[in-house]
Amino acid sequence: MKRKDTVKLISADEMEFIIDKDAAMVSQTIGGFAEMELGEVTFPEISAVILEKICQYFYWALQYSRGKETEFHIEPELTLELMMAPNYLHT
Amino acid sequence: MLVEESEDTEKPERSKERVNVKGKRRYSREEKRKGKLLVESALDSKDESLVDGSVSDVELLAQEVNLSDEKPSKKNNRRTSQGRMERFRDTARQNASRFAHFNTQEEDDNILSMEAESEIPSEELEEKGVEDWPGSFSTAMKIIRDRAANLNVRQGSSSSDKVQSLQIKWVPQKCKRKDWSKRLPPSLLDLSLRVLVDNADAIASLAHVPDALRHKLCHMLCDSRRMNSNFFDLLLNGSPTEIRLKDCSWLTEEQFTQCFEKCDTTNLTILQLDFCGHCFADYNLPSTLARSPNSLPALTTLSLTGAYRLSDAGLSALVSSAPALRSVNLSQCSFLTHSAIDILATSLASVLLELFIDDCQSIDAMLVLPSLKKLEHLEVLSVAGLESVTDSFIKEFLIARGDGIKELILMDCWKLTDSSLKIIAETCSNLRALDIGNISKLTDTSFGYLASGCRSLQSLKLCHNAFSDDAIAAFLEMSGEVLKELALNNVGKVGLNTALSLARRSRNLVSLDLSWCRNLTDEAMGLIVDSCLSLRVLKLFGCSQITDVFLYGHSNAKVEIIGLKLSPFLEHIKTPAQGPFQYSSV
Repeated sequence: MKRKDTVKLISADEMEFIIDKDAAMVSQTIGGFAEMELGEVTFPEISAVILEKICQYFYWALQYSRGKETEFHIEPELTLELMMAPNYLHT
Repeated sequence: MLVEESEDTEKPERSKERVNVKGKRRYSREEKRKGKLLVESALDSKDESLVDGSVSDVELLAQEVNLSDEKPSKKNNRRTSQGRMERFRDTARQNASRFAHFNTQEEDDNILSMEAESEIPSEELEEKGVEDWPGSFSTAMKIIRDRAANLNVRQGSSSSDKVQSLQIKWVPQKCKRKDWSKRLPPSLLDLSLRVLVDNADAIASLAHVPDALRHKLCHMLCDSRRMNSNFFDLLLNGSPTEIRLKDCSWLTEEQFTQCFEKCDTTNLTILQLDFCGHCFADYNLPSTLARSPNSLPALTTLSLTGAYRLSDAGLSALVSSAPALRSVNLSQCSFLTHSAIDILATSLASVLLELFIDDCQSIDAMLVLPSLKKLEHLEVLSVAGLESVTDSFIKEFLIARGDGIKELILMDCWKLTDSSLKIIAETCSNLRALDIGNISKLTDTSFGYLASGCRSLQSLKLCHNAFSDDAIAAFLEMSGEVLKELALNNVGKVGLNTALSLARRSRNLVSLDLSWCRNLTDEAMGLIVDSCLSLRVLKLFGCSQITDVFLYGHSNAKVEIIGLKLSPFLEHIKTPAQGPFQYSSV
């Protein structure tokens, strides 16, 4: 993957997730950030587990909008925290 | 069919009472036909106007239908066994409720149809227009009329000519696309909420969950009937700031008392317990909400709709424990009388912003008038369903308080006439929202007043009104730019002129309700939807004339069309403002 096509998302506990820019565009907030900065966004309030799930969601949403409609499974234990993160991310 | 047969056999048996009963019977048969049509439309529009509280009307009409269905079988049973007097008494009994709940709209329909037969030429109408309507509105009306080649506005053969002359030029998109909403993936928030609602019992704590998300959860749980006292406990845990429960019908008195007794209410700013009649009465107030004077010090917004056991004394206790109240919703609290409003006015005269007393049948509007006039900063008043609201009430109240009023809900106040609208236009210069649904006595003159008077009107709701296509079109030409929400539910005369004006003027329109407007074609709808670029919600219940040509041919990607195919529509019922008040900030 070329560097220009990717975005790096960093969680509160400093885990780094590198994803495609297209996937990151699902979130309007990240899309806005990615334009400006070096291609790195830090989320001091979101933990690694949640951020991982969010990245999975981005890819799933991308697939969905391209026609492949599947189920996105969320583990119930994650849901409360997961619900509060998107509020901030506008997804 | 059965009714006609039985009437024929009964005819020779009657003597002097024949004229009266026959006359009654004939009228009631007509009425019955009309009644049946009305019932269908009322029952269907019920789906989309649940919140409006017109349930009582529907139940009445449903009873009428039941009565008319029972009629033939009852007559067959009784005819042979009992005497003539019994039969007349039965007839009277069966018809009594229909006459007791006389539907003024049917009377108006009769009047309108009589007018149509007499063919009032449009010149005469324009003359009247010059006299009655303010200058610019009559100009607008003239422009609308001149749009159509023929001047005769009345129905009959001219309507087909009018259709030909008003060509709506709209061509559907060539490429047929699938349902657009399927392409957008559901948001992560929605997905998480759904999982949470399914597993609500497993939620251990709602700490750190912001109020907006709590409200969404409650809303979804109430809709799916999964709300229970465990979740209620979670909501009341800690020191909650906002509680919004749109449906408390599942809550028992004991649960309510237990949960609320231990709740720390010092930070509670919004409390909404709708449909709480089952759990809420005067005697459990002292232990729950009205524990002591000032036990709800921060409460600014209170909604206790359906608290049918709340008396004036109970309300007094509540008001003394919540001195900072600024928005009070007491809809369907049928036990409250005008003294309750007196209490509100005495304690909250300088702070109360919003008051809702929909369907409070024991409140007489004229007796409440002095108290209402004391409320210095009132912005929102809802008296929907109060039959005692008359023109003089509106006049006296608005002359005193009209300039501060921003929202006025007068739905079902069927006694009002055009003169009320004149007063509204003259006094309420800041009016943002108006609901005049089901007021059948209003005529096109009202639109003239509205167009000239209320220049900042953003939301207008009509339902079952008798306005003409031209008047609505002219109003839109003048005031359409500011309008964000428009409901023309069951305004039968809406047609191509309105469609054209909507397309030309309503740039900012977000929500449009055109349910039961059967004169609108696919082309008209397409033009509206493609021109109103801000449109997000379009309700089309009962518009069976709309086909796939429009549904798949329009090019507005963001609009959601509700009411045609099977689509979830409960989500679009207006949820209350997320903040504590509709118009002011804290």
